[in-house]
Amino acid sequence: MSMVYINIFLAFIMSLMGLLMYRSHLMSSLLCLEGMMLSLFIMMAVAILNNHLTLASMTPIILLVFAACEAALGLSLLVMVSNTYGTDYVQNLNLLQC
Amino acid sequence: FTPLMLTAMFILLLPIIMSNTQLYKNSLYPHYVKTTISYAFIISMIPTMMFISSGQEAVISNWHWLSIQTLKLSLSFKMDYFSTIFIPVALFVTWSIMEFSMWYMHSDPYINRFFKYLLMFLITMMILVTANNLFQLFIGWEGVGIMSFLLIGWWYGRADANTAALQAILYNRIGDVGFIMAMAWFLTNSNAWDFQQIFITQHENLNIPLLGLLLAATGKSAQFGLHPWLPSAMEGPTPVSALLHSSTMVVAGVFLLIRFYPLMEQNKTMQTLTLCLGAITTLFTAICALTQNDIKKIVAFSTSSQLGLMIVTIGINQPYLAFLHICTHAFFKAMLFMCSGSIIHSLNDEQDIRKMGGLYKPMPFTTTSLIIGSLALTGMPFLTGFYSKDLIIETANTSYTNAWALLITLIATSLTAAYSTRIMFFVLLGQPRFNTLNLINENNTHLINSIKRLLIGSIFAGYLISYNIPPTTIPQMTMPYYLKLTALAVTIAGFILALELNLAAKNLKFMYPSSLFKFSNLLGYFPIVMHRLPSKMSLTMSQKSASMLLDMIWLENVLPKSISLFQMKMSTTVSNQKGLVKLYFLSFMITLALSLILLNSHE
Repeated sequence: MSMVYINIFLAFIMSLMGLLMYRSHLMSSLLCLEGMMLSLFIMMAVAILNNHLTLASMTPIILLVFAACEAALGLSLLVMVSNTYGTDYVQNLNLLQC
Repeated sequence: FTPLMLTAMFILLLPIIMSNTQLYKNSLYPHYVKTTISYAFIISMIPTMMFISSGQEAVISNWHWLSIQTLKLSLSFKMDYFSTIFIPVALFVTWSIMEFSMWYMHSDPYINRFFKYLLMFLITMMILVTANNLFQLFIGWEGVGIMSFLLIGWWYGRADANTAALQAILYNRIGDVGFIMAMAWFLTNSNAWDFQQIFITQHENLNIPLLGLLLAATGKSAQFGLHPWLPSAMEGPTPVSALLHSSTMVVAGVFLLIRFYPLMEQNKTMQTLTLCLGAITTLFTAICALTQNDIKKIVAFSTSSQLGLMIVTIGINQPYLAFLHICTHAFFKAMLFMCSGSIIHSLNDEQDIRKMGGLYKPMPFTTTSLIIGSLALTGMPFLTGFYSKDLIIETANTSYTNAWALLITLIATSLTAAYSTRIMFFVLLGQPRFNTLNLINENNTHLINSIKRLLIGSIFAGYLISYNIPPTTIPQMTMPYYLKLTALAVTIAGFILALELNLAAKNLKFMYPSSLFKFSNLLGYFPIVMHRLPSKMSLTMSQKSASMLLDMIWLENVLPKSISLFQMKMSTTVSNQKGLVKLYFLSFMITLALSLILLNSHE
């Protein structure tokens, strides 16, 4: 593998760590989710352009669309939690009835 | 003949026209009105005599008002048997009532306006009675309705009086719908509103207009179903009750049905309907009259019961007998009201019979007239009521009719005697139950003269009218002796029963009212139920269907709110996780790392 791919792959692993290990704010995991999406997008675009795989040229765009939807969902969940608790501390997510 | 009649009616108009002048402000205005009416009465007796001797009827049609395509409306007065005899009777009774109200309303500051209203009422009643086409009759009909409203609510500061006046107007309006339906039917099917044309053309099915006319009579004459306004109308002053609601206005409905007798002769369905309606009314109001405590209300229910009797008479196809009963009933009912007015005024406005008693000695004249009036009402032989009431019951007994309606009419006749006895017992006999500081004085000339005139009328008018009218339908001449004595027998039974019950229960403890008593006292629960329930239900229905059904349910609740509610309930039911998110993520990561390290042994 060339150096570029390993670099971008490392960026993906960093974001994954950030998604799985966070202290208190729910927002940080959402941000890392965006980071993962970004690195995937770059990797996909570079691979396709380097290997002249024209058929798959629209896959990055589709990836963007789905990432936008999931970001919206994540944000709405964040807003719901913030509505009931005022903050988005993850320690609030016990199943006390709202 | 005809100019005299027109003169008599024109004289009545004069005081109203002069009301804007100085004469109105005068305190002699009531005298003026009274003498006007007495002159009109005397003048109207002359055409009546001519009619009696010659049997000649007349129709006066003078002013062509307008023609709407094929309908010609003109001002036409019909002087036939009914109107020629009714006008002197009505004028006589009104003359006495005017004189009575000069005494009764003596302390009222607006007495001139009161007389003006009474005079306007009389004029509209005359228009109604002498109308030759339905349009003029409708003018008179509405006119008496309006004057009734103004006069019932005379003391307009009293909330009960305003409610009663409004009630009268509403119930009359429901009857007017029937009247207008009949008018519309006649307009479309026979192209005329004149009685002559309607009676000559042959119609095939007359059910619809006759049903409309029956509804109009139910509303105006307070038959069962549209009856609560008549007892409530006793909120007006006693002269108003005497004039309107005993002799003249409430017979307008019966008069309408009598006018249409050629059409009702052929229609058996209508006759059965009228018969049953009248029978139910008679019995129901007689039952209600048994336990009332207000003397005016008892007399009002008595009026209602007699009206039911008149409608029964129309139902057995005897319009002339019904008309005779109208004329005789006017005398003694007006006199009964005037006697109760005299009693009320001298007991310092006390209307409850439980607080009256022992008036036999202090008020001899009123006592006499009350007793004679009650006897005439119950049909004592050879007083006035006998000539009409006994004939009605005889004819009903010997005709081919509904036996149930007949039985009910007989029971109601005996109840008439019962409540009349009750009035006399509570008011006149026994020890006094009123405040002791009342000055009981019946010495006023106006009062004595007016009651005296109606007293003589109650005794002799039946005889005079029956033997002087042109021959009409032939009364039944032969019948078994028990049928002939039926009316007398049930009346005497009613008298004796009521007297015995009253005497026996006089000194007993007052027991808690039974449910039958409550039924009778509260007018059979009819006004209580019907005034609240239908209006509340229709308003609730309309509110529910307009706002709740369309907006609230369909637009708001079906899709959006139901989905969110469903999801929330389901998620709380289904999920059994606790919220330890960080632990879950950490375990995910450690598993991933471990698997990548441990399974890297392929190389």
